[in-house]
Order: sequence, then C-alpha cells, then structure tokens
Amino acid sequence: MKSSNSVKRNIIWHRRLGLSIFLLLIFLAISGFALNHSPALKLNKISLSNSWLLSWYGLEKPLIQGFKLDDKWLYENGNNLLYIDRQAVAPCSPPLLSVAKSPNILFALCADSLHLLTENGQLLESFSQLDGLPVNTRAISAADNSLYLITDSAVLEFNPDSLALQPAEINSASLNALTAQLPVPESLEQQLENTGPSISLETVILDLHSGRFFGQFGVLVMDIVGLLICILSITGLFAWINRLRQIKQ
Amino acid sequence: MFNRLYNSLFNNLISKVVFTGLLTITLLASPQLSAKGVYQSGPDFIAEVFAPHQPEAGVLWFNDNIRQQAEKILGHRVLGLRVRYHHSAGKSAWILNEIGKEMPITIGVVIDQGKISSVKILAYRESRGGEVRYPAYMAQYQGATLTDRYKLDKSIDGITGATLSVWAVNKVAALALYYHSQVMSQPESTK
Repeated sequence: MKSSNSVKRNIIWHRRLGLSIFLLLIFLAISGFALNHSPALKLNKISLSNSWLLSWYGLEKPLIQGFKLDDKWLYENGNNLLYIDRQAVAPCSPPLLSVAKSPNILFALCADSLHLLTENGQLLESFSQLDGLPVNTRAISAADNSLYLITDSAVLEFNPDSLALQPAEINSASLNALTAQLPVPESLEQQLENTGPSISLETVILDLHSGRFFGQFGVLVMDIVGLLICILSITGLFAWINRLRQIKQ
Repeated sequence: MFNRLYNSLFNNLISKVVFTGLLTITLLASPQLSAKGVYQSGPDFIAEVFAPHQPEAGVLWFNDNIRQQAEKILGHRVLGLRVRYHHSAGKSAWILNEIGKEMPITIGVVIDQGKISSVKILAYRESRGGEVRYPAYMAQYQGATLTDRYKLDKSIDGITGATLSVWAVNKVAALALYYHSQVMSQPESTK
C-alpha cells in the first residue's frame, strides 16, 4: 500500500515538474539546436541593433558626425566604413579626421589612411600608413591648386598622382583645413539604422540559452531548470520501472 | 622540525605550480602576441626588392575586363579604380590587401618574367593564423605561374589553423600574376 502511494506520488511530481518546465525545455532544445548549427545558419552574421536590445546590453548608439563638402556629407558610420551621403565607399578606421577637395578628387583622411575618391563617390585608391602616410597626420587641406597634409610637426605637399610627399614652406594655420566635425542631418542618421554597435543573433541566443541575458538571476533559473531536468529523468525512470513491475505482477 | 620540512616542501610545491602556470600562460599567449604586427613598410619592401636599382612607379587602371577578372580571382568586389605597382626590367612588385578571417592582410608579391619570385607578409592584423608569414611557407610560391583558369599552377600546402590566411595569400598571389600579365601586355608608353 505504502509502495503504491510512493509510486503515485512519484508520477504526480513527475507530471508537475514536466509541466512546470515544459516551455523552457522546448526553448532550450531549439536554442541548443540553433547554437550547434550556428555557422551553417549564419547566426553570427545576423546583427541586431534594436535600441532596446542595445540599451539592455549597455551599448549606446554613437552620435554620427562628419564633414559637409559642397553638397555632400562625408562621415564614418560607427562601423569602420566611410560614407558619402547614403553610399558606403571605403573602409575607414575612426575617427574621420579631415576632408578636402581638389578640382576632381575628394580626400578623406581616416585614422590610418587617406582615401582618394572621385566626385561621384567611387574609391580611386587608399594611401595608408604602410604606404608612407605619416603616422601623425591630422588634417588635409587644398589650397592654391596644391594639397597639403598637416602632421603634428610639419606641413607636407601631397601629390595625388604619384602619392609623393615633400616638405612645404607654408604655415598650417593659413591652410584652413576642415577638422571640426558636425552632426550629420537626421535624414542620413535615420538611414543608418543598421550601422553603429550591434549584437549578433548568436550572442543573444547563447545568452538566452545560458540565462545570462537576465543576469545572475537568469543563470540561477537555468541552473534550477537543469537540476529539474535531472530530477525529471530520474522520476521518469522510476515511473517506467514501476510500470514494468506492475505489468509483471 | 616536521613543521619546517612541511613548510619548505609546501612552499616549493607552490612555487613550482605558480611557475608552471605562468609558463603555460606565456606559451599559450605567445603565438597570439606574435601573430599581429607590421613587419615591413611598403617603401622598404620595394627598396629591398629592387636594390640596388631604383624601380619605376606605375599605375594599373581597372577597365571592366580587369575588374571582372580580379573579382573572379578574389571572389568578391574589388575596391578602387586603380592599383599601384613598381617595376624594372620585367620584374614587378605589388602590395595588395586581402581579408583573412576578419582583418586585411597586407601582402607584397614580386613577379619576375611572369613567375612569382617572392611573396612576403608586410602586415598581419588577425590574432591567429600568422604562421603564413614564415619563410618556409612563403617559399612554396616561388616559381608559380598563372594557369588558364587564373589559378596558381603549383599546389600550396595549407597550414592547420591558418586556412583562411592561406586562401587569402593564394588569391593575392594569383591576382598579382594577373595584374602583372595585364601590365606586360600594355604598350610601354602607358606603363
């Protein structure tokens, strides 16, 4: 009689446990499957930049600033890309330090390279520090049909055809280089919804799967769920053994 | 007496564990620390390749055919409208960038009479896979030419853990051979 009661109790608790973690169990199975096949599903390539999600992870959308050159806006989008208005034109290590324009070429000086662009925004070529761009270059300026690179210690005349540099006898203060960035217009910033900081879908699923998404509390819940799954397996095994016994009797 | 012996043994053990731990950490960290870096600047590479002569600088402008073929070789869009090179007496040197896993690798390729004469990693920016810069690996490219299908005619042995970097170097080597063939087919005045 006693044994029959304990068997019933075992089954009741097995059912209660199963019901209480049913949804979480399904979620864990699906998320685990997704994580196991993350490279094939390309979950790490899917970037999420929802403002709520970013604030949950403690990330802030940067203020996008750039330079207005005639009627075009040149700016770095917060994701290491140089944009001209709505078009991504070249990789650009932030910050975008300075821009200038000669009769047919636009120049954009990023932290480690100078990009030469056509008027319609096509990249001609990049002149990087590895190619000979001085490390401490902080501005570029066009004056009197010549181009000048302003470094911390000197002004250099730059030949955009040969990429050659030579010392120039000119005062950097007289060059009026564009170095002060302005916030880009709202219309451009809205179009940048998918740029700036982002979190991969893989990270979010992994954090949900482990419970880290909800901080220490979430991890604790997932620990308890793991423990309950163990108990569920044991109570299930007992129920199965008892059922076998009953059939034999 | 016993206490002293125990203390000395215990301290000895602790110091050994700490030393082994530090050594392990150093060994594990060292390949990652050594992988990243700029090994040679572009102008230094060019000067070394053509020494003691002074090479001529040239620009290869992309037309539709060149761009399409370059994109086929690389398997992705080619940025820029022109590429620079240096040349002297049938020998040309190219400095090209290609993404390994996530970061660009800067690779210098020297072509002499239509064959690769040397390949060198000038800057490596990934934290892993930097083994591609070792001379023993780079020596494999020597003498390679381009097949009709714009691939290297030599089989290049891969490196475990640096597969993407190896692919990047292979593609750049083939691209430099292609660019060289385009330059050589141009009239002398346009070079």
